[in-house]
Amino acid sequence: MRRLHAAAWHAGAVLLLIVVLYPVVWMISSSFKDSRDIIGDLDLLPAPPTGRNYATAAEGVAGIGVWRLFGNSLLLAVLSVIGTVVSSALTAYAFARVRFRGRGLLFALMISTLLLPFHVLIIPQYIVFQSLDLVDTYVPLLVGKFLAVEAFFVFLLVQFMRTLPHELDESARIDGAGHGRIFWNIVLPLSRPALITTSIFTFIWTWNDFFGPLIYLSTPDKYPLPLALQLYIDQTEATDYGALIAMSMLALLPVILFFLVFQRFLIEGVSTSGIKG
Amino acid sequence: MIKTQGRRPSGVRGGQRHQRPGDAGAGLLFLAPWLLGMLLLTIGPMLASLYLSFTDYNLFDTPEWIGLENYQRMFDDPRYLRSVTVTAGYVALAVPLKLAAALGVALLLNRPRLGQGLYRSAFYAPSLIGASVSLSLVWKSIFSDGAIVDRGLGAIGLDTGGWVGRPEFSLPMLVLLAAWQFGGPMVIFLAGLKQIPGELYEAAAVDGAGPWRRFRAITLPMLSPVLFFNLLLEIIGAFQVFTSAFVIATGAAGGGGPAGSTLLYTVYLYGRGFVDFRMGYASAMAWMLVLGVGLVTALLFRTSRMWVHYAGDRA
Amino acid sequence: MTSIKRFRTALAALLLAGGLTACGGGDDAGGDVTLRFSWWGNADRAALMQQSIDLFQAAHPTITVTPSFQEFEAYWQKMATETAGGNAPDVLQMDFAYLREYADRNVLLDLKKTGVKVDDLIPAFQGVGEVNGALYGIPTGGNTWCMFYNPKLLTEAGVEEPRTGITWDQYHALLDTVSKKGAGRTYGGSNYRSVIYSFESYLLQAGATLYTGGGKLGFSKQQLIDYWTVGKQYIDDGRFIPSEKVAQIEPASPITKDLIATEFRWDNFFARYASETEAELKIGPVPVTTAGGPTGQYLKPAMLLSASARTDHPDEAAKLISFLINDPQVGRIFGSNRGIPATNAQRDAAVLEGPALAIAEYEEAIAPLLQKAPPAPPKGAGTIEAAFLRIADEISYGRSSVPDAVDTFFTEAEDTLAG
Repeated sequence: MRRLHAAAWHAGAVLLLIVVLYPVVWMISSSFKDSRDIIGDLDLLPAPPTGRNYATAAEGVAGIGVWRLFGNSLLLAVLSVIGTVVSSALTAYAFARVRFRGRGLLFALMISTLLLPFHVLIIPQYIVFQSLDLVDTYVPLLVGKFLAVEAFFVFLLVQFMRTLPHELDESARIDGAGHGRIFWNIVLPLSRPALITTSIFTFIWTWNDFFGPLIYLSTPDKYPLPLALQLYIDQTEATDYGALIAMSMLALLPVILFFLVFQRFLIEGVSTSGIKG
Repeated sequence: MIKTQGRRPSGVRGGQRHQRPGDAGAGLLFLAPWLLGMLLLTIGPMLASLYLSFTDYNLFDTPEWIGLENYQRMFDDPRYLRSVTVTAGYVALAVPLKLAAALGVALLLNRPRLGQGLYRSAFYAPSLIGASVSLSLVWKSIFSDGAIVDRGLGAIGLDTGGWVGRPEFSLPMLVLLAAWQFGGPMVIFLAGLKQIPGELYEAAAVDGAGPWRRFRAITLPMLSPVLFFNLLLEIIGAFQVFTSAFVIATGAAGGGGPAGSTLLYTVYLYGRGFVDFRMGYASAMAWMLVLGVGLVTALLFRTSRMWVHYAGDRA
Repeated sequence: MTSIKRFRTALAALLLAGGLTACGGGDDAGGDVTLRFSWWGNADRAALMQQSIDLFQAAHPTITVTPSFQEFEAYWQKMATETAGGNAPDVLQMDFAYLREYADRNVLLDLKKTGVKVDDLIPAFQGVGEVNGALYGIPTGGNTWCMFYNPKLLTEAGVEEPRTGITWDQYHALLDTVSKKGAGRTYGGSNYRSVIYSFESYLLQAGATLYTGGGKLGFSKQQLIDYWTVGKQYIDDGRFIPSEKVAQIEPASPITKDLIATEFRWDNFFARYASETEAELKIGPVPVTTAGGPTGQYLKPAMLLSASARTDHPDEAAKLISFLINDPQVGRIFGSNRGIPATNAQRDAAVLEGPALAIAEYEEAIAPLLQKAPPAPPKGAGTIEAAFLRIADEISYGRSSVPDAVDTFFTEAEDTLAG
């Protein structure tokens, strides 16, 4: 009975996966098609498959080596993850577990920053960094991450921290712990699933971000992958769709790895390791 | 602060706990990075865009104060009005579909099973891709005339033909793309499900509660903060959806095609600001959106008191 | 100018909550000069540019050029942001449609005030980057509106290849024959009447222009109604390929997928199309209204080079532009990548083959038929070009009647031109 149940579960999940992964498979198979055949082809499988697109992609783009591109993207993504996790966790703790006057107002202010489309902020922000002489450095792309500018993550962590039972801090308080220790020893370990979620999202969003690097970076050697991807496209000269997709697939590998590694920590929630920790 | 001593046992309702000495200082300390970020990077540009929304600003010349003219113009601008309808339709379809997919798969994957990590990664894979030119090529291929969607629907007697380039199907294509990339809310749901103490389910099982009762009585209320978060953020995100529409439904006419069927709010806003150099108008559009979505957000927060439960506030 | 500066300073001060404003780094202390140079294009162009820059730096050891490049649309968003921030690059690639957008707002340097060398430009390009007597851009190469066709599809339909002097009536008959023969699989052509440059050549053939010298629309509502009515008729009778079939293969062109036999484009697209299809394509004429009448074709700058009005090094910027326009070695490096070269020296030096050669031969053959290029389009031309396509699209999809669409277009275009 139990076995049957498990088999049914797997069958259902696999069926669902086939639907969900079909476009991904299409993309992978496109990367092995001849560049000219990619658009308008109705066949899933390439005939015959070619590795040329990957060979082209491995050469890098416009004189920028492929390792450099990945290195730039990785540097931005890793620093963003560190900055976002640290700064958002601190901010969220204040909003979720500390009571002080004006908290509601500041919280509303934070939520309101989510509502404004970023396009109209681009130019004023550019002027700030321009007048600080920081354009064409990674500072404009990173400083906001260290200052918890991304309200999405602050709010996410607030929601999780608010669900933690208050008895935990009460007993810690009786033991003489202050906010610093409660934050570090109790709330942070218990918020691990949310912190992992924050890391994963930050990594992927930074990895895929195009507009920020476009605006702030000028020197090709500093380009991350999404900027480089655009360089396969041109109006009048040939667009290399094959290399474009192949490079997109290569660019996916680190994100998949990152997710594979970190999703394991999602499993360990409060009910298993959290309380003991 | 006057203490309401003895009137009511402390902590009966959320938000009623007393401030302890030192809390104000600690709060400020914890908030310091965020406050700095607000002052340096957020408030200034927000005020600047608010100011610009009352001006005629073409990116090059000094902004010229024109009062409410930008705001008045919107109501006579057929493209603006269309962008509002298109966006409303998109939000109404994409948000429920994406959340349902995310919650459904999260519940499916929450049970410990063999290969669980792999399943989770596989379901998350579409969300790793982001909205890129490569994805737009793939998405179009799949919905083309004679491709899988067309054939699949034909097999069950729904002969729609290809979806690409057909105004009546182009928004649904974007909605399905959003729903397909359900990994974000799914992970958040999973994290939320992990946070629910297993003892609750054990206790319920002892009481003889079936799966549906357990879902209603434990999962839903315990998950409600996360559900609220996902609902709110997906709505806000859907109102501002840009990249997918920009990359996939460009049409040759600067986005929004075919025949204006995917003219989403921010796509139009971007076009006004950066293609037509009407940044004053674009800023006014942005602030109208803030007003509209702000209203929806406030309403959600208001109703959330009735259905969102925070263990930390109630204990 | 000062008020713009004051606005930016005020904004910066406001944003920084008082102070911290660093007033531009001074990198012009010594004799060495650094120029920022931005262009749009793909990886191929970047490689060619870098070779040219290396040559330039070798010839001018005191000047360093730092390059920056993006794809076309991304380039213009970045350019708009940088310009708004008062940080435009010293030297920049410019599009003819945006020349006045930037020139009229004092973003570009009047190159006449520098020692830029333009005397070797071919006659058709003399003065083409001028606005109100000031020179804001120098063309690097040119292109011409033309027809591409697929001889094989035409032969299969039993139609002759179009020759110079073909009339619109003959062309429309050709469309009819090919589309009927194609039986819903291949078509004679696409809806060229939704593209503003086709409309422009139609106007030029009739002795009118798209824009008046005063920056207003140079045609009447009735002219556009007539033009779009015929377009709608050919969509309905199946002469044109349906819009959704074009959308399915975007951003590729239907002519590269053997779906249509003819298409109108700027001739420099030929290189891309030829490389994206196995079919043999040829470049053909723009049909004329009356046999022997004007073709409405002219040589348009494919792209120009401009300098920022705020550059600290106008003379060095002019040196770079002169070098890129005139140096024979640069001409050889680029071939037709920036259009068929604009100066005699570079034309002589360029070694053209394949599609590039076909373009050059075509331009040479039609040279006697070319008209003088109209003045640089007014600011807002890019917006109007997009609106034309978008509104014509509404007609194709039956979402708007022709007179309504024309009204909409006039309202939007006049609003754009007024602002």
